[in-house]
Amino acid sequence: MLDRDLVADVLTAARRKGGDFAEVFVEERSSTSIRLDDGKVEELTTGLDRGAGVRVAEGTSYGYAYSNKLDRDALLEAAAAASAALRGDAAGPIVDLTDRFGPGTNRASRAADSVAAADKVAWLREVDEVARGHSPEVTQVTGIYLDSLQRRLIAASDGRWIDEERPRIRLVAQVVAKRGDVIQTGWDGPAACAGVEFLDAHPPRVTAERAATRAVTMLDSIPAPAGEMAVVVANGCGGVLFHEAVGHPLEADAVDKEASVYRDLVGERCASELIDGVDDATIANGWGSYDFDDEGEPAQRTELFRGGVLQGFLQDRLRAAKMGVQPTGNGRRESYASPPIVRMTNTNILPGNEDPDQILRSTAHGIYVRGLGGGQVNPATGDFVFGVSEGYLIEDGQVTTPVRGANLIGRAIEVMGSVDAIGSDFETWEGVCGKDGQSAPVGSGSPTLRIAKITVGGTGA
Amino acid sequence: MPELGSLVHAAIEAAEDDEQVEAYAEEGRQTEVSALRSQIEGMTFAESRGLGVRVIRDGRLGYAWAADPSEDEARGTVWRARENAALSEPDEHNALPDPRASESMPEIFREQSVIVSADDKVKMALELEAYTVSRDPRVSKVDLAQVGDAVSRVAIASTTGVDVEYARTDAWAVVVTLAVDGDETQTGFSYAITRGLDALTWEPVADEAVQRAVKMLGAVKPSTAKVPVVLDPFAASSFLGVLAGALNAENVLKGRSLFADMVGRAVGSDPFTLVDDGRRLDGPGACPFDAEGVPSGRTELFTEGTLQGFLHDTYTARRAGDGQRSTGNAKRGGYRSTPGVGTSNFFVDPGDLSYDQLLARAEGGVLIMDVSGVHSGANPISGEFSVGATGLRVQGGATGEPLREMTIASTLPEMLSGVAGVGSDLRFFSSVGTPSILIGEMTLAGV
Repeated sequence: MLDRDLVADVLTAARRKGGDFAEVFVEERSSTSIRLDDGKVEELTTGLDRGAGVRVAEGTSYGYAYSNKLDRDALLEAAAAASAALRGDAAGPIVDLTDRFGPGTNRASRAADSVAAADKVAWLREVDEVARGHSPEVTQVTGIYLDSLQRRLIAASDGRWIDEERPRIRLVAQVVAKRGDVIQTGWDGPAACAGVEFLDAHPPRVTAERAATRAVTMLDSIPAPAGEMAVVVANGCGGVLFHEAVGHPLEADAVDKEASVYRDLVGERCASELIDGVDDATIANGWGSYDFDDEGEPAQRTELFRGGVLQGFLQDRLRAAKMGVQPTGNGRRESYASPPIVRMTNTNILPGNEDPDQILRSTAHGIYVRGLGGGQVNPATGDFVFGVSEGYLIEDGQVTTPVRGANLIGRAIEVMGSVDAIGSDFETWEGVCGKDGQSAPVGSGSPTLRIAKITVGGTGA
Repeated sequence: MPELGSLVHAAIEAAEDDEQVEAYAEEGRQTEVSALRSQIEGMTFAESRGLGVRVIRDGRLGYAWAADPSEDEARGTVWRARENAALSEPDEHNALPDPRASESMPEIFREQSVIVSADDKVKMALELEAYTVSRDPRVSKVDLAQVGDAVSRVAIASTTGVDVEYARTDAWAVVVTLAVDGDETQTGFSYAITRGLDALTWEPVADEAVQRAVKMLGAVKPSTAKVPVVLDPFAASSFLGVLAGALNAENVLKGRSLFADMVGRAVGSDPFTLVDDGRRLDGPGACPFDAEGVPSGRTELFTEGTLQGFLHDTYTARRAGDGQRSTGNAKRGGYRSTPGVGTSNFFVDPGDLSYDQLLARAEGGVLIMDVSGVHSGANPISGEFSVGATGLRVQGGATGEPLREMTIASTLPEMLSGVAGVGSDLRFFSSVGTPSILIGEMTLAGV
């Protein structure tokens, strides 16, 4: 994307006042988005984005400047601005820039740009037809198709030079169902770092059917109960819970600021002994996978919990250097417009041995959660909250009436300690995580699991 | 580098005879400096510009955008948008607005802010952090102490005759504190946004962030109960985004709003009046015109509890018919996205009750200071919500014991009809603003 000599000059300019290292991140991203709504293909948008960011770091301090102009003057200006924050006056060296190659975690076998836009439009029509055909109570359908190809160049003063392509694809169905005055919604949206072959395994009609089923099922729902009770979380959903409640407080920036409830607990048992958890950026074509992170560190599988014992934190370069540990490849950024921050990739609770049906049968009374709408955590206190998008009562070991308007609220350490059953049925879920104003695609996964006691916030009895 | 004005004109000159073309260009410069442990934590300079083009041909809409295009690339963007239009379906309501006269708003650009030097911004961030950690022995650390500012310019031109430009400045300070007492940690957030860095008084932001954390120390989980609730402006503002979604005419027209059939009905109680006013200068969302070049205006959504109507852009106004005009509420996330309905300064009209008077009316209830999980726990389509909350118990007309790990749940209509009092302490957070609000009764779930 950029000439090696030019990049070396920019790095040299960025190190005019020294610092621990300088880094250039260049990005080109082409994208297609198609939106079908209200029975019509409303909008087809194509975009071409490009830009570069220059970062200079010293300890955990950094200066960052970016531009979406890629000419020499603009890049040198960004380098000057990024280094302005440093107080030193001795320039730092630049090691010869040498290619580093990754394993090709996110190979696409059929690139999205090899498929005609008309075919992509046809997938959305199928979503509309299938969802409306599901029930006369389906009153509105939105289908969204997204693909993008991001090409990134990362070069740093220690000589790293990484050029990586990341293809993304996502197909979303949002369905509204109505009966009298009651309106309910259903959603499904599989996604991957892959080409259009992904849709062979996740066909649009299945996505549409799932979203429609959720919306129509919830028409029968009653207001969720309020108070403490047992909650069985279906496979796939528990990963979202793990991501929010536990993953964020394990990000080393929170730990470094003493704003993490887990900061002094490495080596301690602070979750149920049934919990084995990892963050894994090496899963082939995973929504949060890559070869190298956005600082040019190799992707890896990082153990977070083994038998409920905390193994360590998720690191970027700055925090790892300060704590005297190896980076874990978790420095990510939304685009060239943002400095990298510590982020999760694909965060999973590993499967256990129990039959998921048996977990339900052995639960006398509680809530069965089949869909979580996302959540939020305060890493410093461990307090978290999750919206339940699809939930049911459990009565005498049976899943019965759907419930609406529920959420789960708790404290990370207590709730992870009260997990008393882990199923064998691992499933994943793809989401978009927000942190410090940046969004990042993240995967999560879990088997069916049961939390013995957690507060459910509803309005019912 | 072409001026924004010449860029948008180059684009619309590439229009063909039987189509409408609109070009939207923006450029911005932004600086953010955060301080931690008496040092610069991070300093970010951002500079960007881009162009987005809408082409409407036979009722079909196509969009394309490009980052930092030359005039040639601007014309190429029109060509790509035209190609995209061919693949979408015709909709008779797709059209660009005709030009309407708009008074300029020079007040939203503050030259004194633009000339603040990088060194002064660094100094301000360091002072902000140092001041924050000096206020209370229990608050010796921050999670975030940041100041930032932005200068932005927008130009819009279209083949229907829209031809507008404006510039604006914004500046802000954000503090998140950590209050520690023994094993317990609590956080406190505060935020201020103004027209310029030179006009930013950050001490109250620091003081408030310290107070909000310290007040939460010793928090306990309450019992499940139905109680009166006062939402402070931080907590109340979280719900305005959900309300905005339900009052968006596009959602209404497409069957995605519970308010669709309620115009003219007393959905809320008497004290509740909700307004969108893009010309209100004390709101951060002030702007002479919207993202399609339609002049900003004042729209009452609820007047003393009665639903008056919805927020419209040009498309939804045409589709609604009945003489509906755009309310000047076309907004975009930036040049990368097509305009859609959004808010400008969207606020609850303040009442005449003081904060103390509101508390006195919430005896035995709870002051909610923060809600969490709104993006997943509140549904603007069904109107149901259940969100996490923290706050203080109200006793004897004053706030007392701090409460955590609780949820509040209700529906939007129930909450609006339950508004029993509105405070006089209106405060804006980005484009939404609200005073403290008393709700007669809400379900609070805890133990």
